[in-house]
Amino acid sequence: MDKKPTFSNGALFGIAWAIITSACVEPIEFLVPPADSQIVIEGMISDEEGPYYIKATKGIDINASSPKTTPIENLMITLYDDSGNSEEYVEFGPGEYRTNGLMKGTIGRSYHIKIETPDNRIFESIPDMLHPVGEIEEIKIEFEERKETKNGVLVPADVFNIFVDANVGELDMGYTRWRYKGTFKAKTVPELHMITSASYLPYKSPLPCSGYVMAAFVPGGRLLKVADCTCCECWGQHFEPVPQLSDVTLVSEGRFRNVKVGEVPINNRTFYEKYLVEIEQMSLSRMAFEFFRLIRSQKLGATSLFQPPSGEIQGNVRAINNNSSIIGIFWASSIKRRIKYIYPSDVPYLLTPWLILPENDSIKQFLYPDQAFYYYSQNVTRPCVEYFENATTVKPDVWE
Amino acid sequence: MTVRGVLVFVLCLGTLKVWSQGVLYEKMDEAYCGKPLLNYFKMLSDKESVRVFYKNEWIDHIIIPESNDAPLLEVLDQLFYATGLSYVLMDQSTIVVIKDPTQTINRKRLLEEAISKSKKIESLQIGRKGSTSNKQQYSITGLIVDAKTRSPLSYATINSGESMSSSSANEKGYFELMLTSGPNVLQISYVDYEEKLLDIEVNDDGELLIELEEKSVILDEVVISAQSLLEMATSKLGQIELNMNELKRAPTFLGETDLVKQVQNLPGVTTVGEAAAGFNVRGGGVDQNLILYDGLPVFNSSHLFGFFSAFNTDGIQNVSFYRGGIPAEYGGRTSSVMDIKTKNGDLEKWNYKAGIGMITTNLMADGPIRKGKSSLAASFRSTYSNWLVNAVRTDYADLSNSKVFFYDGSLKYSHILNEKTNISLSTYSSKDAFNLMGDSTYQWSNLLGSIKVNHTFSTYLSAEFTLGSSAYGYKVNNEDDLTASELAFKINTTVLKAHFNLQKASHNLAFGGQMIYYSLNPGSLEPTTAISNVRNFALNKQYAFENAFYFSDELQYSDQLFVEAGLRLPMFVALGPAEISTYSFGLPREPSTMTGSLHYKPMQPIRAYFGLEPRISARYMTGRSSSLKFGYNRMYQYMHLVTNTTAVTPIDIWQPSGYYFEPQRADQISMGYFVDFKEKKYGASVELYYKHLHNIIDFKDGANLVLNKNLEADLLQGKGKAYGIETSLSKNSGRLTGTTNYTYSRAFRTIGEINATGSINGGLQYPASFDQPHIMNIAWNYGLSKRYFFTGSFTYHTGRPVTIPLSAFSLENTTVAYFSARNQYRIPDYHRLDIALVIEGNHKKKANKGTWVFSIYNVYGRRNPYTIFFQNTAIGVPRPYQLSIIGTVFPSISYNMKF
Repeated sequence: MDKKPTFSNGALFGIAWAIITSACVEPIEFLVPPADSQIVIEGMISDEEGPYYIKATKGIDINASSPKTTPIENLMITLYDDSGNSEEYVEFGPGEYRTNGLMKGTIGRSYHIKIETPDNRIFESIPDMLHPVGEIEEIKIEFEERKETKNGVLVPADVFNIFVDANVGELDMGYTRWRYKGTFKAKTVPELHMITSASYLPYKSPLPCSGYVMAAFVPGGRLLKVADCTCCECWGQHFEPVPQLSDVTLVSEGRFRNVKVGEVPINNRTFYEKYLVEIEQMSLSRMAFEFFRLIRSQKLGATSLFQPPSGEIQGNVRAINNNSSIIGIFWASSIKRRIKYIYPSDVPYLLTPWLILPENDSIKQFLYPDQAFYYYSQNVTRPCVEYFENATTVKPDVWE
Repeated sequence: MTVRGVLVFVLCLGTLKVWSQGVLYEKMDEAYCGKPLLNYFKMLSDKESVRVFYKNEWIDHIIIPESNDAPLLEVLDQLFYATGLSYVLMDQSTIVVIKDPTQTINRKRLLEEAISKSKKIESLQIGRKGSTSNKQQYSITGLIVDAKTRSPLSYATINSGESMSSSSANEKGYFELMLTSGPNVLQISYVDYEEKLLDIEVNDDGELLIELEEKSVILDEVVISAQSLLEMATSKLGQIELNMNELKRAPTFLGETDLVKQVQNLPGVTTVGEAAAGFNVRGGGVDQNLILYDGLPVFNSSHLFGFFSAFNTDGIQNVSFYRGGIPAEYGGRTSSVMDIKTKNGDLEKWNYKAGIGMITTNLMADGPIRKGKSSLAASFRSTYSNWLVNAVRTDYADLSNSKVFFYDGSLKYSHILNEKTNISLSTYSSKDAFNLMGDSTYQWSNLLGSIKVNHTFSTYLSAEFTLGSSAYGYKVNNEDDLTASELAFKINTTVLKAHFNLQKASHNLAFGGQMIYYSLNPGSLEPTTAISNVRNFALNKQYAFENAFYFSDELQYSDQLFVEAGLRLPMFVALGPAEISTYSFGLPREPSTMTGSLHYKPMQPIRAYFGLEPRISARYMTGRSSSLKFGYNRMYQYMHLVTNTTAVTPIDIWQPSGYYFEPQRADQISMGYFVDFKEKKYGASVELYYKHLHNIIDFKDGANLVLNKNLEADLLQGKGKAYGIETSLSKNSGRLTGTTNYTYSRAFRTIGEINATGSINGGLQYPASFDQPHIMNIAWNYGLSKRYFFTGSFTYHTGRPVTIPLSAFSLENTTVAYFSARNQYRIPDYHRLDIALVIEGNHKKKANKGTWVFSIYNVYGRRNPYTIFFQNTAIGVPRPYQLSIIGTVFPSISYNMKF
């Protein structure tokens, strides 16, 4: 019998291992029009009192590191309705335009805008009808116990789910959007800011906006209040991650029931004082509904090997006398609002208080031993608006 | 006197132009009716006034018809028709019987050649010499089979007649020839089988069972893979027989021979990307290819997320691939048919094959259970391929903990019940699992089982009955604790088919019917851990029947014209139970226009579709080795693959036609010119096609297809068209063999009215996802010696269209990507060169028949994209990336041996 052939798996694998490593995932480049040649228009009119706003920006390069936009200035923008009325927008900030409140959106009327650039390019939006919208009957909250994995460890990530019950109203097709916004009062301790240097021990350096300064000639560095803090408090904001749109399968007897419109993360930061939920129920035309549906679809799409490609989002603004690329929407909507506060006491367990601080009178005493400086993460010694995402120092009008 | 001598003598006499009609019009003596012609000639010779010259052996079997009152001229014309015999009247009293020597010369040449090459010559006699039959042509029917396994050899070539004209057996290996009485030579050939010469003395109608033996080694006269390329002019339009042995000699990726990749090298066939699952034929989607495994449909033909086909070539007997001129027997898909038939086991002795490659090992065993009566054939292949994906290095995706696994196996039991009946039981199973870049494990599996009975009712009539069932399904397991879940999809198919072949004279009729019952679980989701946040959800099951009756005839109308015409009558019924959402009339189907629902009880028809599918193809020989071919097909498709991803994925959904989804319909017309030259050493062809598609499905922008109970609101139907020109040049013999083909083809879709709501790209025509205008394939095989071969292939095709983000914009505190219109950009062109050195086993039959294949895949390290996917950038918008898994030179070794 002939000798059987031999075979060495290991040798073959070795060869393959050495060579296969150049298999790769890499960005793929396409020759596309420059992003800054793209005009982006965002604006709406509602049946609430004006002024109404329009924002004009340039497109952002896909590879940009920041979502910062470049405003488009010096546009002539005119608002028209289907009765022949019109009103000019005025530019009140770079790329930001507003009406003077002469026109007010009326249910049943159609509105469009005309935009003219300094180089005489003209763009117009397709008229969008302002449909009526039903009322929000109730905002409901529902506690949900959740966990998430952080650094391989399961940690609590409970939320309040926010639902609304609402009237469908007189809408034929029920194209409705709920715009959600959550606001919470927040606080940081910029007076406890320290500077860490490689060659020295950390030393106290309260931020000027905290109103505190270091008392001179005091051993250990005592703080003295010299003014009110202007960056200690702010209002953190949560926006909807994706537009929340109506689904007629949730309609029962002319009412939208249990439409989930948002989530409130439960922690001692969001419930430092209380949490404000603001819901706007907005009527949409079919065009606007489709626009926001595509945005929703894109934002919800997972990023995986098998991710479906998103579609072209065009909006309703078109170039009239030129071939410039424009994306944008100018839409009309009737808006009904409702708010609800959620308090720490609504949380079914006791939250650890956020930033336990002594009374102002005793802070100098308390701080003298320096414990507080090390007690908190230095992150919370940043100005409040920097620490909290989407935070503002402007108190919301409806905040009580 | 020699034959040549007779001819020369006759020709010389013929020049005298002596013509007399006296004898010709003499009425025959009735006493000789029903008697041998020889007797009559003797009687005439006995009369002093009539002289007849002839050779006894030419006419000693010819009988004068009964009741014959015709004059001698007519009787002789009738008797000598198609016998090669003729006569010349030298004067009023002299008849010279002559014989055209061409057939005899050919016979002598063929036999001498065969003897010089030590080929096998089998001598047979059909009917007794001097039979009382008075026919000059006899019908010889036959079956060509593998000598060991008795598996029929589909479309084997038979050369016969004076000019050794070529014909072929049918798909079941049957053939019928009209042979002249007397000695004939049949030359039977089939790729990779020993050619056989039959020296037949034909004296009556008869049947033949022709057994061909597989070549023990491949000789240096190498043939290329497709049988039809050998017979470019005479093969059927759009039909190719793939040969497994040749496939194993082609360059491979990781040493794995791949059936589907071989198909992708054919003109008009392409794929959307590196190692993508499935293939596209003449502008059709991957779902438009009917893949049959022993008669049962296969819904996913890939392993390892598309890198390999799911079929182990060791277990396959032959593969018929149709992309035009599709016989009426096949239906249910609109682009092509790939009919895979598995091997029967050897009836005489056990054979073993084993192969080892860089990621798989395969085994094959076949042999008799009861010698000469029943056999078993089994094959199995599995992988150890985790190292492959773990080795992929990237900054953009973590593949280090990826896992891949697959296996496939087949088992076939064949039993010869009697001379006329065979029965076989065939099973096939395959499973894949992989976890790539995440917590999800994708699994899919095929399970097929069938019983097949072949019965020969008579010389002319045979039948094949098939009953089988297949199950295809996939699961996606999310293994993250908090979202742990299993997403499942499944199709069960039950098939009953009866196929009949009736071979009579120049007709080859095929007719029959089939019934397919579908049961689908279109999607379910259930939590797999106690703490999972996932809730149970399941879409309603779907049921349907697809039945069809068909009839076709292959007619050799004349030496020049061959026609195959058929008609298929399909019927599809979607059945309840079901709950169908209804929408406002005249408005786009979407949640906001939903008005209610319709309820259907179990087995209640929801909607029925009837079709009429004419099929015709014709071949007209414009010369001895050139032909014009024409074909027209209409085909309906009732099962639709629904996908909206850039890569074909294992989680794509099959959706049956029903209340909303009308069947797809394709009308294809094709024509071409085919020529063989230099004794079939070379072949060339050019073929044009145009295909019109109706009711093709595409998805709306932003559609979500998984677990969508209202798919009709996310899918659209429209029109499509595809056209192209395919050219091919092949060299079929000599040390260097190979093919070069170039295809220019386009495929477009139009969904919705212009600027209408719910249209794609505003209702304007757009390129299909697999539109690739330029496709070129070159394959060669150079015989360095009888055992060493240098093979290679080069492939090029235009990058396929994709939809990409062009820029981003800010809207309401979020950043959104602005995508292009559908399929307006293209990924980079695809091209790749592969080479291989093949060392085949020792020619001595007793030695181990091992074959080494040293391959280099992607010789110049082209980074062709396997797929395009998106990852969010720092500003939260998707950016396209390409994954090039084989982004480098890739050598591999495989070894296969028989023992």
